[in-house]
Amino acid sequence: MNRGSGGGYDRHITIFSPEGRLFQVEYAFKAVKAAGITSIGVRGKDSVCVVTQKKVPDKLLDQTSVTHLFPITKFLGLLATGMTADARTLVQQARNEAAEFRFRYGYEMPVDVLSKWIADKSQVYTQHAYMRPLGVVAMVLGIDEEKGPQLYKCDPAGHFYGHKATSAGSKEQEAINFLEKKMKNDPAFTYEETVQTAISALQSVLQEDFKATEIEVGVVKANNPAFRVLSTEEIDEHLTAISERD
Amino acid sequence: MKTNKNQMDLEMNLNAPHSMGTTIIGVTYNGGVVLGADSRTSTGMYVANRASDKITQLTDNVYVCRSGSINLSFASTHLTLLFYLGFLAADSQIVSDYVRYFLHQHTIQLGQSATSKVAANLIRLLSYNNKMLETGLIVGGWDKYEGGKIYAIPLGGTLIEQPFAIGGSGSSYLYGFFDQAWKEGMTKDEAEQLVVKAVSLAIARDGASGGVVRTVIINSEGVTRNFYPGDKLQLWHEELEPQNSLLDLLNSSNPEPMNI
Repeated sequence: MNRGSGGGYDRHITIFSPEGRLFQVEYAFKAVKAAGITSIGVRGKDSVCVVTQKKVPDKLLDQTSVTHLFPITKFLGLLATGMTADARTLVQQARNEAAEFRFRYGYEMPVDVLSKWIADKSQVYTQHAYMRPLGVVAMVLGIDEEKGPQLYKCDPAGHFYGHKATSAGSKEQEAINFLEKKMKNDPAFTYEETVQTAISALQSVLQEDFKATEIEVGVVKANNPAFRVLSTEEIDEHLTAISERD
Repeated sequence: MKTNKNQMDLEMNLNAPHSMGTTIIGVTYNGGVVLGADSRTSTGMYVANRASDKITQLTDNVYVCRSGSINLSFASTHLTLLFYLGFLAADSQIVSDYVRYFLHQHTIQLGQSATSKVAANLIRLLSYNNKMLETGLIVGGWDKYEGGKIYAIPLGGTLIEQPFAIGGSGSSYLYGFFDQAWKEGMTKDEAEQLVVKAVSLAIARDGASGGVVRTVIINSEGVTRNFYPGDKLQLWHEELEPQNSLLDLLNSSNPEPMNI
C-alpha cells in the first residue's frame, strides 16, 4: 500500500506530500502574491502605521468602495493583503469575535489575542480537507494596554508573529530588505517618522511616487488609540514631507 | 423563624409588588436631548446605593435611563448568597450590556455612529421578546439624521417615540407637572432646569427615589454629564431646612441649644 505521491491528491487538498509539504498552503501564499498589491507595516515608539496600495483597476469603479483596510473594533485595525473576498469574510469573523470578547470579558481584545485567534482559525483550514486556507495575509495593529504599540502578521499557514516592521504581497521580499536597513539599531520612530518610513518603503520598492489617492494609510497612536484611516489631505502632508526630505 | 435581619428584609420584598424605585426622565429640546435620573437603589427599605448612576452609555451619542428590578425569579432561599457572589444583576443592566455589544458591532460594520432609533429598537426587541424581564427604559440620543430623539420602552416592550418621557416609581408624581410645565422648542438650559426640577419634585414625594440628580445632555457637539447634590436641591412646600450636624450646637452662640 505504497501511495508514493498521495495519489496526486496532495496538491488538491491539505494533506502532506511525501516531502512533507502542504501544497494547498503554498498555493495560498501564491494567491496572496497574485493579487498584485504590496503592503507595509511599521511599529514606532508610540504608534503603528500600515500602508497599502489602492489599485482601482477599472475606471468605472467607485474608488471609495475599494479598500483593504478595515476597522475591527474602535481600537484594532486589520490590513488584508491578497484575495478581497477572503479578506471580507476574515474581517467579518474577526469583528464578531472581538465584539464578543469585549462583551464576555469586559475589556478590549488585545492585538496579540486577536492575531492568535486568526492564526488558529487558519491552522484549522490547513488540517481539514473540506476547507481551503484563505488567500489572505492579515496585519493586525493596535495599542496594547500593557505593551504599547503592537503590529502582528498572520498568514495562511497559521503562523503569527509580532513585528517591528514587516511587509506582505507581491514585493514582500524587497520591502523587507529595505525595512531591515531602516530598522537597524532599533530606532524609536516618532509618529511622523513611522508613517514616513512606511510610505517611503512602499515608494522605494515599487519605484514610483504616489498620489494621495493611490495609497491607503491606517494608524494607531498611544495618545489616541482609536484606529484611524488617514484622509487624503493627511496623506498628502506626509508625501510632501517625504519629498522635501529627499 | 430563625432568619437574620437581612434575609427577612429580602424575603419581605419577594412577595411585595416590584415597584421599580427610581425616577427617570428624558426630554428633547431645540438641538438635542437631556436625560435625568435620581440615584437611589433600594431593596425594600434599605438603600443599597445612594449614589448610583442610572444613565448608562450605549454608544458615543446614545444613552439610556434604566429602571427596573433585580431579577428575583429564581433561587429565593439562596438570594443572599447569590447577591454576595455577584450573580444577581438588574435586568436593565443585562439588557443595556447586550445592546451596547450589538451596537458596537453595528457601528463597526456600518462605518459610522449608530442612530438612536436603532438603539431603541434593539432594546425593544429584547424587552418585548423576553417578558420575564422587568425593565422600564428611556433611550435618548442625537444623530445626524433625526437630531435629538427620546424613546420610551416601558414594561411590556412597547416602543414609542415621544418629545419627552418619564418613568420609574417617582414618575407617578410628575404627570401633572409635565402637563403644565412642558413646552416645545426649549433651549438647552431650560430643558436641563426642567429635568432637575422634575426629578427633585419626585424625590421629595417618592420614598424610593432620592440621593443626587444626574443629568446627561446629548447634542451635535457631544455629551455633557452634570451632577446636582441632593442637599443643594430646591426645597419644596413644607420641607424642612436641612440640619447639617448636631455639632452645630457646639459652635452656635445661641444660649438655648434646643431652640433650632
